[in-house]
Amino acid sequence: MNIAEWKCFRLTAADYHRGMHVLLIEDDLRAAEYLVQGLTECGHVVDHARDGDDGLHLALTGKYEVIVADRMLPRRDGLSIVRILRADNNHTPVLVLSALGEVNDRVAGLQAGGDDYLVKPFAFSELLARLGALTRRQQPAPMDQRLQVADLTLDLRDQSVKRAGKPIRLQPREFRLLAFLMRHSGQLVTRTMLLEHVWEFHFDPQTNVVDVQISRLRSKIDRDHELPLLHTVRGSGYKLSECP
Amino acid sequence: MNALEPPPPRLWRTTAIRLAVGYVLAYALALVVALAAVSWTTAIYSDARARSQLQQELKLLTHGSKRTDTQAIKDAMLLRMHGASRKKRLYLLVSADGNKLVGNLLAWPTEEDIPVDGQVRTVEIELEVLPPKWFEDDSFIPVIATELPDGGRLLLGLGVAQAKLLQDITEYLSEGLLLAVLLSLAMGLTLGRAILQRINTISSAAARIMAGDLSRRVPVSPRNDEFDALAGRLNAMLGRIQQLIKGMREVTDNIAHDLRSPLTRLRSQLEITLLEPRTEEQYRRAIALGIEESESLIRTFNSLLEIAQAHAGQFSGNVQALDLCALAHDLVEFYGAVAEEAGLALAIEDCSCVNIEGSRDLIAQAIGNLLENAIKYTPAGGAVTVQVIQADNAVELRVNDNGPGIAEAERARVLERFVRLESARHTPGNGLGLSLVQAVARLHQAELTLRDGHPGLHVSLRFPRMRSAKAMS
Repeated sequence: MNIAEWKCFRLTAADYHRGMHVLLIEDDLRAAEYLVQGLTECGHVVDHARDGDDGLHLALTGKYEVIVADRMLPRRDGLSIVRILRADNNHTPVLVLSALGEVNDRVAGLQAGGDDYLVKPFAFSELLARLGALTRRQQPAPMDQRLQVADLTLDLRDQSVKRAGKPIRLQPREFRLLAFLMRHSGQLVTRTMLLEHVWEFHFDPQTNVVDVQISRLRSKIDRDHELPLLHTVRGSGYKLSECP
Repeated sequence: MNALEPPPPRLWRTTAIRLAVGYVLAYALALVVALAAVSWTTAIYSDARARSQLQQELKLLTHGSKRTDTQAIKDAMLLRMHGASRKKRLYLLVSADGNKLVGNLLAWPTEEDIPVDGQVRTVEIELEVLPPKWFEDDSFIPVIATELPDGGRLLLGLGVAQAKLLQDITEYLSEGLLLAVLLSLAMGLTLGRAILQRINTISSAAARIMAGDLSRRVPVSPRNDEFDALAGRLNAMLGRIQQLIKGMREVTDNIAHDLRSPLTRLRSQLEITLLEPRTEEQYRRAIALGIEESESLIRTFNSLLEIAQAHAGQFSGNVQALDLCALAHDLVEFYGAVAEEAGLALAIEDCSCVNIEGSRDLIAQAIGNLLENAIKYTPAGGAVTVQVIQADNAVELRVNDNGPGIAEAERARVLERFVRLESARHTPGNGLGLSLVQAVARLHQAELTLRDGHPGLHVSLRFPRMRSAKAMS
């Protein structure tokens, strides 16, 4: 990532998530320190709890837009916090962080009521992108049958895609890919997020499969148009938006 | 010696001895019951015999109650008394004033009041009045007594030697019991010693293995008995453990080997950047490089962890019935674009819908790795085909390419971790792809084989067929 891209990424990230109130429950103080710093620099307001009980206490106040909880915490583990919140009818999105990397752990994390699961070590941009996606999901009207970014439209009912009124033919998987990107337009979407939601794969391909799929999609929606919509955020992922 | 190690078993605490003692106790109990039964029936029999004999004798002496004269009875008694003590018979005739007239009893017994009613009953008679040659220990005697018209009394008794009989029986049986106890103990000891010897062999082998000699095995005798079966099992278990430990050791060796150089690179890059003041642009470049390096480190590290987990057989939840063909379709579609970019034809052929049980994520990754390999090593213009074939009790997934293939001598080696053949040096990758496939295969009891495709490489994964309803948990 060069400086210009990094700046742009920071700016856009900050633009889209300014003022988000984040609760971070993490007992590793060094990790917490850099997460607080990173999130604050991206425009968020972060409260930090050092153990499960403090975290639960703060979470139950219900004033947060998103909660980032480590899975293994002193006094009370992350999953039990999620369970208690859900039992309390508190639906603040929770992203569970874990050093355990097994597929089953992820399943357990989601079953407990967590909204997303991220395995350590993770890239900070991945965390940021997922927080963005989680809070966006909370906003109303995700049921829209018609998605639009600039002059690109996607209709979920008849599975049609048009750019500047001209129909574009997409393969079924390309359609899912575009729909996901459009639902998260303006946000950074990482390769892992695409793998998980579009292909439902939970492994990390060694080759640049996702990049190739994206460039194919790009050639279909951006070719012959002045304004490119599908941008690559180097080192992090992709973004579908009017401004790069 | 480890403090937790159990002490070697003592002979008298072996199972064989415990069994022997148990048998002896059971035998003794059975014997006591038998004895009780014998004495009971004997008593009934001898009682009945005594009753009839005594009544018979009384009838003889009194001539069927017609002879009532004391003198006449006395004479008759004198005649019948010959050898009475030897025949274990007791006679006594006393006058009305209680004086003994005739008889081998010394006096009328006073220990128990004997009714003179002509009925047979068993009474205890004191030893003092019994005849001197009377056999000992039998003072409970069936008697019959009657009163004569002149007031004299007549007493007849019959020693049945019941106690003696019982004593004899008890003696014989006890001797038998003693013999049985001795035999059982001897047998138990011999058995115990023999079993202990076999156990000690296994146990000392285990001790040596625990001391660190993992290549040692429990000796198996040619007898092929249950101990040999056990030893065989133990050896198989030891083999698997040794293999796992070897795998673990390899992982640590490989981590040390393969992560050390990128870590060194990362560290020195950052150090050098800090040596002198640099422009912001230079700092950013150094940091970006650092992120890239750590990214690839994490990737390698994660692959290693995944393989280690699959090898360790951690497979608790998340097992589902899955359609191998549908999954293969998804992956072929996923990698289709990459294959096309590389100038390859990637297609799925012969796909029959069939279920296997397993983890979708792991199997997807295994198939993904096979496809990535095929795409990576097949030159442009080649073809990669995927097949899902039903065999008798198996489902076989094949990934065939027509690239350069792998020489037979090297096929086993490519399954090892980090092995990258000389010919693959210029392509990206960490050499972990096939070993993950191998680990996933083992976890699913599938068989991974590499074959020569003339030309190219044919890789096959043979999964066991799903076992009907039981599979859905």
